[in-house]
Amino acid sequence: MTAVLFLVVVALARIAIVFSFCFGLVVVFTWAERKGAAYIQDRRGPNRADILGFRAWGMFHPLADALKFLFKEDFIPDNAQRLFYQLAPMFAVAPVLMSIAVVPFGPDVTIFGRRVALQIADLNVGILYIFAVTGMTVYGVVLAGWGSGSKYPLLGGLRSSAQMLSYEVSMGLSLVGIFMVFESLRLSRIVAGQGELLFGFLPKWGVVVQPLGFILFITAQYAEANRTPFDLPEGESELVAGYHSEYASFKFSMFMMGEYLHMVIGAVVVATLFFGGWQVPFLADTGFVLPGGASVPLPEILVIALRTGSIFLKSLFFTWLYVWVRWTIPRFRYDQVMRLGWKVLLPLSLVNIFATGLVLLLLGK
Amino acid sequence: MPNLTIDGLAVGVPEGTTILAAAKQVGIHIPHYCYHTHLSIAGNCRMCLVEVEKFPKLQTACSTVVTEGMVVRTDTEKVRKAVTGVLEFLLIHHPIDCPICDQAGECGLQDYYMVYGLHRSRYALEDKVHKKKVQDIGGQIVLDAERCILCSRCVRFLDEVTGTRELNFFQRGDHSEISIFPGRPLDNNYTGNLADICPVGALTSKDFRFKCRVWLLKGVESICTGCARGCNIAAHFKGDILYRYKPRVNDAVNRAWMCDFGRLEYKKANDARLLAPFVREGGREKSASWGAIVPQVALELSRAVEREGADAVAVIASPQSSNEELYLVRRIAADRLGTKNLAFTHRTPGDGFSDDLLVLADKNPNSRGAKLLGIPDGEAFDALIGKIAAGRIRALLLFGNVLGAFTEGETAGLLSKVPFIAQVGTNTGPVSKAAHAVLPSASFAERGGTFTNHAGRVQRFHAGFPPRGKAKNVIELLCDLANGLGADWTFTGERSVFRALSETETPFRGMTYESVGAFGQEAAR
Amino acid sequence: MAIGIKKVARPRKMSFPEALYLVEIVKGLGVTMRHILGNIVRQEGIKTIEYPEVRRVMPPRFRGRHRLMKRQNGAPRCVACFCCPTACPAKCITIVAGESPDPAVEKYPVRFDIDMLRCVFCGLCVEACPVDAIRMDTGWFTPPDDTREKLIFTIETLLEK
Repeated sequence: MTAVLFLVVVALARIAIVFSFCFGLVVVFTWAERKGAAYIQDRRGPNRADILGFRAWGMFHPLADALKFLFKEDFIPDNAQRLFYQLAPMFAVAPVLMSIAVVPFGPDVTIFGRRVALQIADLNVGILYIFAVTGMTVYGVVLAGWGSGSKYPLLGGLRSSAQMLSYEVSMGLSLVGIFMVFESLRLSRIVAGQGELLFGFLPKWGVVVQPLGFILFITAQYAEANRTPFDLPEGESELVAGYHSEYASFKFSMFMMGEYLHMVIGAVVVATLFFGGWQVPFLADTGFVLPGGASVPLPEILVIALRTGSIFLKSLFFTWLYVWVRWTIPRFRYDQVMRLGWKVLLPLSLVNIFATGLVLLLLGK
Repeated sequence: MPNLTIDGLAVGVPEGTTILAAAKQVGIHIPHYCYHTHLSIAGNCRMCLVEVEKFPKLQTACSTVVTEGMVVRTDTEKVRKAVTGVLEFLLIHHPIDCPICDQAGECGLQDYYMVYGLHRSRYALEDKVHKKKVQDIGGQIVLDAERCILCSRCVRFLDEVTGTRELNFFQRGDHSEISIFPGRPLDNNYTGNLADICPVGALTSKDFRFKCRVWLLKGVESICTGCARGCNIAAHFKGDILYRYKPRVNDAVNRAWMCDFGRLEYKKANDARLLAPFVREGGREKSASWGAIVPQVALELSRAVEREGADAVAVIASPQSSNEELYLVRRIAADRLGTKNLAFTHRTPGDGFSDDLLVLADKNPNSRGAKLLGIPDGEAFDALIGKIAAGRIRALLLFGNVLGAFTEGETAGLLSKVPFIAQVGTNTGPVSKAAHAVLPSASFAERGGTFTNHAGRVQRFHAGFPPRGKAKNVIELLCDLANGLGADWTFTGERSVFRALSETETPFRGMTYESVGAFGQEAAR
Repeated sequence: MAIGIKKVARPRKMSFPEALYLVEIVKGLGVTMRHILGNIVRQEGIKTIEYPEVRRVMPPRFRGRHRLMKRQNGAPRCVACFCCPTACPAKCITIVAGESPDPAVEKYPVRFDIDMLRCVFCGLCVEACPVDAIRMDTGWFTPPDDTREKLIFTIETLLEK
């Protein structure tokens, strides 16, 4: 009985922690995007919203935004197809949140004598699950575009879904190399595999063994998240705000949140697959073991803290990279986006698979 | 018939003509202040100096009578220098307060300064002699002695035209100024003309004071509606607001003058106007559209004719209407309604004062025209009022804002005896308070036509601007009404009506707007 | 003039490493990072003027919102000569003149309204004024408002500044 209760409590606690981590990051992310953009462009950025005169460098702006979204009129346009129109924002948020379930945030730990995985669900098809679930976000875009009953959302939705589907292909193929190297789809196994060392000193991170795969994956992911330089679904002069032109109030904020969640989860996945997940280089369960043979023993609790801290920092960096890239690189034209997706990324990811296979064959594995 | 040359142009003029008048004939303007066509010649402003061959000194063009073989030059350096010098003298003590001067824009000093002056003052500001400004000297006039150039036009006008002699010169040298005698303000009916003839801003109109700048005004040739004299005037307006009247020169009617009473007539086109048609139902005014009210009036009139006979319907015309309108009114009464109850009256409320210069007792511009067009006055009108008082009139079409000389109470009493009254008028008044259907018409500034003055002179007046509010041109209105009563009139504008009128009406036979021209034409006796 | 042909420089063909974009992207990221770090460390590089607290200093000949000048006794200097509405190309000035209570002044504006929504800020009214009663040297714009009526500035508003 206590065992069942314990499992339930642990499951709920894990879900709560991971969700609050994601939403917290989204809030910070929206602020970082605006402030970062401002500083990159030699502006001051948000700095007005205050609580009792305390401005906190504009950190209260996301709060003010949220409040404003909540109190705006929640309307449905006359021409909209009500069911689709209402479903679309849910499809934008829910699948993204679901996909975080399989990401490991640390090694297994022992609590009250029981082993607990720092992961909501350790599925054996982990990465495929992520693809399957995040692939559903395209429904949000399609439904919003179709359900709004307006031409700009329809055009924006079409464009956006075409782009997302195109890049979905090369994104999936670019990861095949990773599976081949780590011989598993289970994320905990992939992360554990990245704890090994190559040639005795080089951490066997995904980015080291699959550099091309990493570049292809991160590019495809930016396109998948509709971020600059692939932010084609929006275009004021062509199709207004794209598929969410007709949305306001909290429904619009759900699209907004979905987009940012997408990026947060994207960052976590990149960190997990290519940057060792919770692994810290040369940190074993007992403490640091340096390549020369020297070792620094550490208590277990510190090791766990270092490891969860490491994935947190890595995720933070990759979310920031989204912002950084956005304000650095100009956007592509739509035909350029499609050409890059189909004629560059797709062949390259196929080449990557063959090359990886060849190397593995030659190494005799 | 002396022949002379002015600036190389040969001209023959009658004996006794002055050089200035002769020059005007060949289109040469000689600057002048004291000279006025309708006043005696004084020759004291010295602006009209010209060079005449064989005269050792320059001569004043206004006072020098031409002789045979005279050779006059107005454009030599000598003349120019002299005129410039005279102008500089005239401007020595001038306060140059053009920004607050109502004359600015039509001021002789401004005009000639731009041609002959353009100098910087050589006279220190503190040395200027100051005289009394803003003096209310009675009548319609405000006097500013400082601006005066002592041309004496006003003095001569009051001496020669009105004979009242209220103004004169006082003091000596550069302290000279015009003024009234102590305790004897201007007291005549023609003070407004002083503001017109004053070439500078010394005498300005009290009524027009600070109302508008003259360069913003537009003018239209019109006829004063104040009395049967039919003084020729220019009506000055901005937008749809009339600001003032100025007399036009017409030696056959008003020479160059007009009376103070007529000068304020313009206010009737601005104030207390009827601007939208309305009907009175159960004592309450209800606004109506033109599309509804004209057919309603036509229906009421024709129903009264059907039920009670043509004798139960009456039309009271107005001597404020133009010949064209009266002609149409008569045709509606005779042809459409078939009634003999058609009359007008020249009587108006108030005492019909008159004088021996311009003002006439008949305060209407077109009583003579109405009579010439066969609309009866006097006894016929009294008979019609008798029928109204006896309750025998069941429907009345009434033109004008007042009912003869009746007081407000009498008008209300009389009109209460008529079950249906339609009024065509411009202003609110006793009639509009009693009428059952009020059809607002364009004022004299908003429509064109002809008036026939007391002497039978047909004179043209022009529309300055379109009718205010929803008011309608009377001719258009009458056509709509007649067509509602079964006619098929296609008159468009006063010209087409006058053409029809001149074909059938004996006194106007053969007249056209061209033959009437700017100065009018006598109707046949 | 003879018609010549001007050769316009075509975009240079990119070399292979440039066409790969990777290095160039990293270079670009370096540029933006330099800005962000510079702006975090030192705020001087930030060009933003924090509007309500800090205002841009307008050049001396800037034509801003009008003001009417006063005499020493506080009465308007304007003598209602109508020169400004005459000069105004936008017809935005409405003056109603009246007899001044001060006999030395004679004429003064009973009403002096400027429709700020119609005004084109050409400054011709200032040039036309013979008594230097109207100026546009407030150095500031017309403040926004929520009705058209409030943006018809009356003589009281114009005398304030």
